[in-house]
Amino acid sequence: MIQFKNFSAAFGERKVIQELTFSLPENSITGIIGVSGSGKTTLLRALCRMNDRINNFCVEGNIFIDGVDINRPDTDVYALRRKVGMVFQKPCVFPKSIFENAIFGAQEKLPRNEHPDLVEKVLREVFLWEEVKDRLGEKATTLSQGQQQRLTLARTLAVGPKVLLMDEPTSSLDPKSTAAIERLAQSLKSRHTILWVTHQHDQAQSIADRVLVIENGQITPLSAPVVRPEKSSSFAKILQGYPE
Amino acid sequence: MNAITAEKMVLVLIGCITFLIVALLFTILGIMFLNGLPAMHGGFLFEESRDFGRAGGIFYQSMGTLLLMGVAVLWSLPVALGSVLFQTEYLNTGKLKTLLTQLTYILNATPTILFGLVGYLLFGVYLDTGVSWVTGSLILAVMILPTLQVSIREAVEALPEKYREAGMSLGLSRPTQIWRIILPQSLYGIVTGVLLGLARAAGETAAIMFTATTFSGIQLPQSFSDPVPTLQTHILVLAQEAANPESIAQAWGAGLVLLGLVFMLTLAAWAFRTRVVMESEL
Repeated sequence: MIQFKNFSAAFGERKVIQELTFSLPENSITGIIGVSGSGKTTLLRALCRMNDRINNFCVEGNIFIDGVDINRPDTDVYALRRKVGMVFQKPCVFPKSIFENAIFGAQEKLPRNEHPDLVEKVLREVFLWEEVKDRLGEKATTLSQGQQQRLTLARTLAVGPKVLLMDEPTSSLDPKSTAAIERLAQSLKSRHTILWVTHQHDQAQSIADRVLVIENGQITPLSAPVVRPEKSSSFAKILQGYPE
Repeated sequence: MNAITAEKMVLVLIGCITFLIVALLFTILGIMFLNGLPAMHGGFLFEESRDFGRAGGIFYQSMGTLLLMGVAVLWSLPVALGSVLFQTEYLNTGKLKTLLTQLTYILNATPTILFGLVGYLLFGVYLDTGVSWVTGSLILAVMILPTLQVSIREAVEALPEKYREAGMSLGLSRPTQIWRIILPQSLYGIVTGVLLGLARAAGETAAIMFTATTFSGIQLPQSFSDPVPTLQTHILVLAQEAANPESIAQAWGAGLVLLGLVFMLTLAAWAFRTRVVMESEL
């Protein structure tokens, strides 16, 4: 369970998030929509403390994940980021092989002989295994954008996060890859709590159990449980043709 | 005068200046080749010098130069790398970063003779390393530190932020990110820095002249307190015997070898530098 309590965030004097208090249920997809600069990405990054490197970034109030305040000074921020994984707008694969990319975040935590099994598991989870199983040693940069995005998601899943933050993960993808990622999110929902930031209103409504609108750093709920993607998504036809 | 005429005139002026610079470089290279090639007999690179440098080759001088350069880089590289990583990965305040950068540039602009003087007092006298290859390599290490630091810092800073963010989002600790992302991705920049540092060390004479080198009476150092013969000192001493054509010919030959060494290092650095730019644009 994720809980925001009077949470505010600012870059210096400029407040981006203003006194948010709300909760996110476990094992669900929450869509967050809003115009550019409304604070969507800041909200997401605050959940895994990705802005710690930024000089003038400061927060007030609390974010609790499983009852623990993530901004406490004694928080193990590396453990937090393993628990709260993030997928970015543009896929960022390392200039290494597909196999090395998939295992990148988990390789130090596991004995070497367990790496192949984990790689297969996470690549299957993101529906990429069949496409790359014969060329795991090839550079990840040779994959298409959509495949790269699924690979970055597999790399994140290999670390074993409970929460997945997806920052406009389909904005740089073609419709087929977009459909694949959307379907993927649905399949991951049973084991992960997912926050999905998007500009697209219809996408948020089609994939999310709950949609929140963020405006000037404040959140308003848009709607209660929405229709499932098979019924409403503009990519429904493409989805139907995509492998399970 | 209309704008097009003015633009043409500026173009001609810039073209002339560029031509002058290129012509200057080729003139120096031409003079070096014309005067240095006659000294390049079969064993010039691999024979010991004889008759106080007037005959024979420059084998031990070349070895001495390579020794000083190589050891200087070994001293300097960890310091440069450490300071760059501290600046780019750990320092959050912009002011301190700027201050450190300015200090690096000031160090780079310090006259080399002062490095020799201060270095000799610090290392040679206070640390009791005397006139030796250890003193020389330490002084050279301080001298090439800014060159290495600037090259490595530029390479690390050119690394796209997305790699750092990807590493952070996977819960990698900062040392792990440095070891597994920053250093491998900046490798070409680090090699460029090392090559430029070596080239600078190879071209340096003043700082090591009276702290590390000797002209004759020694081949390769047998202990930490021995001086070392170098190409730079060899050229300097032989060139002072202007009345002796054999000495001058040998000096030109050694000069050509030194120029070739610096040229190759610079070319290699340029090749690696190109690779850095390509990587950062990925």
